Amino acid sequence: MSEALQQVKDWILKRHPDREDIPGDLDLIENRLIDSLSFVEFVFLLEQHCGRPIEMETLEVDAIRTLDAIDANFFRAGVK
Amino acid sequence: MAATALPVTDRFLEVLERLSEKAIEDYYNPYQQFDWPEKLDENRLWMSPELLTPYGTPYFDELGEETLHRLSKWESINFYSLNVHGIRELLIEVVHRIHMPGFEVPSDFFHHFIGEENEHMWFFAEFCRRYGDKIYASTAMRADSAWEPEVENFLVFARILFFEELVDHYNTRMAQDETLCDTIRQVNRIHHQDESRHIAFGRELVSLLFTRMRDAVGEERLREVESYLKRYVVFSVNSLYNPHVYRDAGIADPLGLRNALVADERRRAHERKAIRKPLAFFLKTGIFSDDTLPVI
Repeated sequence: MSEALQQVKDWILKRHPDREDIPGDLDLIENRLIDSLSFVEFVFLLEQHCGRPIEMETLEVDAIRTLDAIDANFFRAGVK
Repeated sequence: MAATALPVTDRFLEVLERLSEKAIEDYYNPYQQFDWPEKLDENRLWMSPELLTPYGTPYFDELGEETLHRLSKWESINFYSLNVHGIRELLIEVVHRIHMPGFEVPSDFFHHFIGEENEHMWFFAEFCRRYGDKIYASTAMRADSAWEPEVENFLVFARILFFEELVDHYNTRMAQDETLCDTIRQVNRIHHQDESRHIAFGRELVSLLFTRMRDAVGEERLREVESYLKRYVVFSVNSLYNPHVYRDAGIADPLGLRNALVADERRRAHERKAIRKPLAFFLKTGIFSDDTLPVI
């Protein structure tokens, strides 16, 4: 796991102390680890770690649905 | 979404009648109300300094006068943009409920409310487009799980009330600030006048919806609702710290400044001032058991 993804995971775990770990394929939305109120802060966190602006209005929820999706969409080299 | 009828009181009926009459008496044509000058002076503040997000921290002095002028322009465009999106979202919810069983009594006032809110949305959008050439994007994400109808109805109107009270803090101050230009003061003054009716109505309705929700769900759910609403309070306050605004104001590290300001304890006292009234209402009614706020 990249350092950036680990930091994203730590950010979520800090806000959900009842959880010990987050599997890469766990649905973050369905399990209410990210909801409409934490969404903005979460996207700013992603922006900070991937170093490019993210348009919230056009962002598809599926792009941040799991840690695996976040890794593929924001942190892998040559990403979209 | 339908729920049992509202536990309507005589007081609620009296308030509704008074506010509906006032809405009719005070009715105005917003499309004729404003003199929109071609341009607003960029070499002065567009927002009262104590309402700017770096206020009360060393960043405020470090930015320099020119940057503060630019920041005040873009923070005001952000503030009016938040109004545009907030109103759009609340209209969707109220339109949805206007003739829904359970809302028969306030239905008539909803008609006034929807009409006035549509007009507010228009003049805020007009300000943004004329003087900022844009409306900042909405940050909403709709993917929450559903609550019981009594909880959902309560939360919709509690969110609307909080949003209106937060905005009203800004409107009241800017309407009174003689250092601001007439157009900015007028937009804020007119919005404040209409919103005082909506806030009075909102407080009555939210109190009734809270009573109905308390009768319908258990203690554990009530604590979840309190926790959600507190997070909504922080979410709303944080939306004023917009990195796109800092970028437009020419600040080198917009996201860095946002993180620093959101984390800066010196900002909490100023935020508390802006949310003092709705927080006191939530505490007085028992909606909040204490005034601690979470990190989101």
